[in-house]
Amino acid sequence: MKSLFRNLFDFERPETSGERLFFKLFEAFVVGGSLYLAWSWAMYIQRISDVVLPLGIAQYIDISFLFGTYPPLINAALMTVLLLLGFFRKGERYAYMAGFLLLHFQYAARYSLGEIPHSSNVLGMTLLLLALAMIAFTEPRLRRRFTLGTTYFFVGLGYTLAGISKLIGTGFHWSDGRHLWMWINEKAIDSYAKTGILAFNFVQEMALANTFIATALLTFGLVTELLAVLMWWKKFRYPVIWAVLVLHVGIFLSMNIIFKLSMIELTLLGFPWAVWLDAALRRSDDASALQKLDAFSLRYA
Amino acid sequence: MTARHRAVRFLLGTFLVYALLVATHLGEFWPFSIYPMFSQGANPWARAVVRELPPDADFAWRPHIAAELPGDPFPLLPNGIDPIDLANFVSKTKQWHGERVAGLRHMFYDQVDEKRLLVVRVDGRIDETDTVRVLFTPYALIGPDTTALNPALPR
Repeated sequence: MKSLFRNLFDFERPETSGERLFFKLFEAFVVGGSLYLAWSWAMYIQRISDVVLPLGIAQYIDISFLFGTYPPLINAALMTVLLLLGFFRKGERYAYMAGFLLLHFQYAARYSLGEIPHSSNVLGMTLLLLALAMIAFTEPRLRRRFTLGTTYFFVGLGYTLAGISKLIGTGFHWSDGRHLWMWINEKAIDSYAKTGILAFNFVQEMALANTFIATALLTFGLVTELLAVLMWWKKFRYPVIWAVLVLHVGIFLSMNIIFKLSMIELTLLGFPWAVWLDAALRRSDDASALQKLDAFSLRYA
Repeated sequence: MTARHRAVRFLLGTFLVYALLVATHLGEFWPFSIYPMFSQGANPWARAVVRELPPDADFAWRPHIAAELPGDPFPLLPNGIDPIDLANFVSKTKQWHGERVAGLRHMFYDQVDEKRLLVVRVDGRIDETDTVRVLFTPYALIGPDTTALNPALPR
């Protein structure tokens, strides 16, 4: 266990400027992505007037108080203030957690019509972990290490749970290619509903024409999900995240489902951006934009 | 307490809350989830599409194949509607009482004054010959003044 926690947090290792700058950019993505969700959900809630399936906190309170024109917009505005306060380190200890809780209410109102999406879970989890880091630690370096370490932990856990759910829900024959035929047709109907055009792309045509290809695609997906927990350990981290990214590309090509925010976050987590930033900082002169960004990351660490 | 001890305590605490919430809420309590999507292979599915009917067009409430669908496709994306929301609204509604019908109509609130929109449930299943069969059943006709429901739906 000690080895696992060392792999996740690595508190003893000194921090570089590139790591600090990378984290501020990562934090900007988490804040920006959360605000994108808050405002886009606020706009969509205008179309909702009835709760079909209560999710999250909506199972305990009547979430319809967030329906209407102004309540979801006011909620999004409050989140904007709170998350920006957190980002600029004004009352960050509780600002991020308050923003996260308001985002949970916005989610419960937006997804009260029966859909249980997972496109926002990775980002929502990361915002929660960032909020917990602010509460748990006061030293900026420890906050950064905790946020990233726990993010690797829960992102890896989530994908592995998805694989285990498939084994429990169906069994090892989950990867039977005929199951993919069903899902390709299902998602083709979703695309038809969205655009009015019913068509299959070349990957879907190949999978529908050949059971072996369909089975191979599902097998790759299942194995990748089950092994995702290996991203807890540094030596497996990047290859496992790359495999998960390939899995997402496969899901997009075969079923037209794209988890944009999750893919951007995986791209941030799956490459040595901090090392590249360190190299770029060494090469840049003092007046460069990168050095100014580095100074910004130090000021609002 | 060292930084590592504090981090481990917060990590395990979060993990415990995660486990408790998903265990007691059917696997979902955002942002916690066991990610059960696509976990059941070969299960039949239900979705929804919308057709725009000309003013004088007639149709039957019986199931159709794709080629028999009346009217023209009404694309949801440019009209700001999430098709999965509509599909779940249609497939998960057990009793079509007044509030629920009003909720369906409200989804199209900026369209209903000028169009006749036919909301169609789509059912897919794989048969014994390994062929995916897809059937389209009209559920509701939303017009400028009224909403007509398929007579077979429970009220």
